[in-house]
Amino acid sequence: MSMRMQSATMPWQSRRMRRAATSLIAALFMAGVLVFVLMPFYWMLKSSFQTNKEILAMPPIWFPRTFSLEAYEKAMKVIPFTRYIVNSLFTAMATTLISTSLAAMGAYALARYRFPGDTLILVVVMFTQLIPAITRLFPIYFTLKGLGLLNSYQGLIIAYTSFSLPYAALILRGYFQGSYPLELEEAALIDGCGYFSAFLRIVLPISIPGIIAVATFAFLGAWNDFLWSSILLTRGEMKTIQVGIRDFMGEFGAVQRANAFMASCVMTTVPAVILFRIAQKYMVQGISAGAIKG
Amino acid sequence: MVRRKNAFCYLMVAPMLALVLVLGVYPMLQTLGMSVVQYDLMRIAREGTPFVGLENFRQIAAEPRFWIAFRNTLVFVAIVVGCVVALGLFVAQVLNMDFRGRGILRSLILVPWVTPPVVSSAIWIWMYMADRSPINQVLMSLGLLDAPIRFLTDASKVWGPFSVPMGAVSSVRIWNGLPFVTVMLLAGLQSIPHEVYEAAEIDGASGIARFRYITLPMLGPVLSVLVTLLAIGGIGHFEMNYIMTLGGPNDLTNVLSVLAYQSAFTFYRFDLGAAISAIILLSTGTVAAFYIRAQLRGTGAG
Repeated sequence: MSMRMQSATMPWQSRRMRRAATSLIAALFMAGVLVFVLMPFYWMLKSSFQTNKEILAMPPIWFPRTFSLEAYEKAMKVIPFTRYIVNSLFTAMATTLISTSLAAMGAYALARYRFPGDTLILVVVMFTQLIPAITRLFPIYFTLKGLGLLNSYQGLIIAYTSFSLPYAALILRGYFQGSYPLELEEAALIDGCGYFSAFLRIVLPISIPGIIAVATFAFLGAWNDFLWSSILLTRGEMKTIQVGIRDFMGEFGAVQRANAFMASCVMTTVPAVILFRIAQKYMVQGISAGAIKG
Repeated sequence: MVRRKNAFCYLMVAPMLALVLVLGVYPMLQTLGMSVVQYDLMRIAREGTPFVGLENFRQIAAEPRFWIAFRNTLVFVAIVVGCVVALGLFVAQVLNMDFRGRGILRSLILVPWVTPPVVSSAIWIWMYMADRSPINQVLMSLGLLDAPIRFLTDASKVWGPFSVPMGAVSSVRIWNGLPFVTVMLLAGLQSIPHEVYEAAEIDGASGIARFRYITLPMLGPVLSVLVTLLAIGGIGHFEMNYIMTLGGPNDLTNVLSVLAYQSAFTFYRFDLGAAISAIILLSTGTVAAFYIRAQLRGTGAG
């Protein structure tokens, strides 16, 4: 707060008041935004802990009177919840492993070396990452169908890799570019280290925070997918949790199951939120590691 | 030495590039191919897939549904990008200030980011149920509303391309997209040196003037990246419009991706679906081309 002479045209009180008024309006608006952002989570959580009787009440009850887990039990019965979770976990983990490791190799070469065709390869990867999935959906569907891979883990992993690989490659390229000085490999090479062992023994170990962050994002992308799994899975026991929740919606129509519906949403979101928190930590570490060495 | 380096680079890039070509570039070309043949699953056994030139494009252009979806896509992108960037600018400005509880606020704002699109849609479907909507309850008890809003089903009031369901679905996308926009803009704000603002304050620039003449221009690059990414994502957006309304009621929330998906998997007209996808591909591809060119120039990699 500095008061100056030129405020003669505007008395300092009014200026101060205007500032206070602006801050108040901003604070109120921010509170509104916060309600908009958080209200749905509250509504999901509270609905999932309500009994059937409470969920049917009209107008809705904002604060559960009895804390009940009956919705969670019901959710597990309406759809084969555990099986769907296992399907999602397995396919997302396999996708993460494949796309992160291949992306790390490719991104490293693109980030740290110049070689004929490097820009073209980068452009192809960027283009694939940017263009919406619907433009690849039908051909990949028919290819996987032709290979007999509908309703299979392999089919799903292939489809997931199609979007998570370019994404992981682009983030990792940025990470490899910004995190350590060029001299890092030069020194290693002079010391008689081969290109590949420079990557494997020197770069990879210090890049673990970045790689974990990227792997988390790859996992979340696959875990959250609906578009691909909705077309590739038609048989019950192979479905992923996202498709399961969608089925739930179709059956639920009536409000009676809304609490179980929200319980299944809670159980689907919790793993994602936990993973995201972990990735956030590593992202910060990744950045600071780069800053210290750069 | 150079040869060994190049060999190493190609070996490292090869697996990734092979997969990107097979799972990315080739299917896009196949979609283009599919859009100029007859690919009707009901007739494919008898007639195969004969080349029909631009016939599929002629057919979709003759369908009012296509133009409704086309217009809805543009409106959806405009609403979502406009609102999410405006809101994101505000939230990022607030989070960039020094106050107690800023860390908690930052984490809270991020939560919708990781919420799966299906779950986001599910929560909002539940909150949008006319009879049991907390939103209606609050508005009605405040006396702002006589009858509950039927968020996802009201087709009675339509203002040009805008309608209640369109607003309801767009809000969910805005809700889901806000964290990403905020994080990007916050990073942009933090790269603006403090001295610039201090100098402006000494010169007596008001808050609005500082925003207009310092913040906005300095955020320019981040904003253009953001708007481009959001526009490309918006043109191809599928999940929320499909899950919440199936494009209805009366196609009020139907967008190109949903129409393409329905043409293919509901009506077995993969040719028409491919033609719509081809339009998405060409429009987003054009935007992407400019974006990539700008990016490569910016980093000096091109």
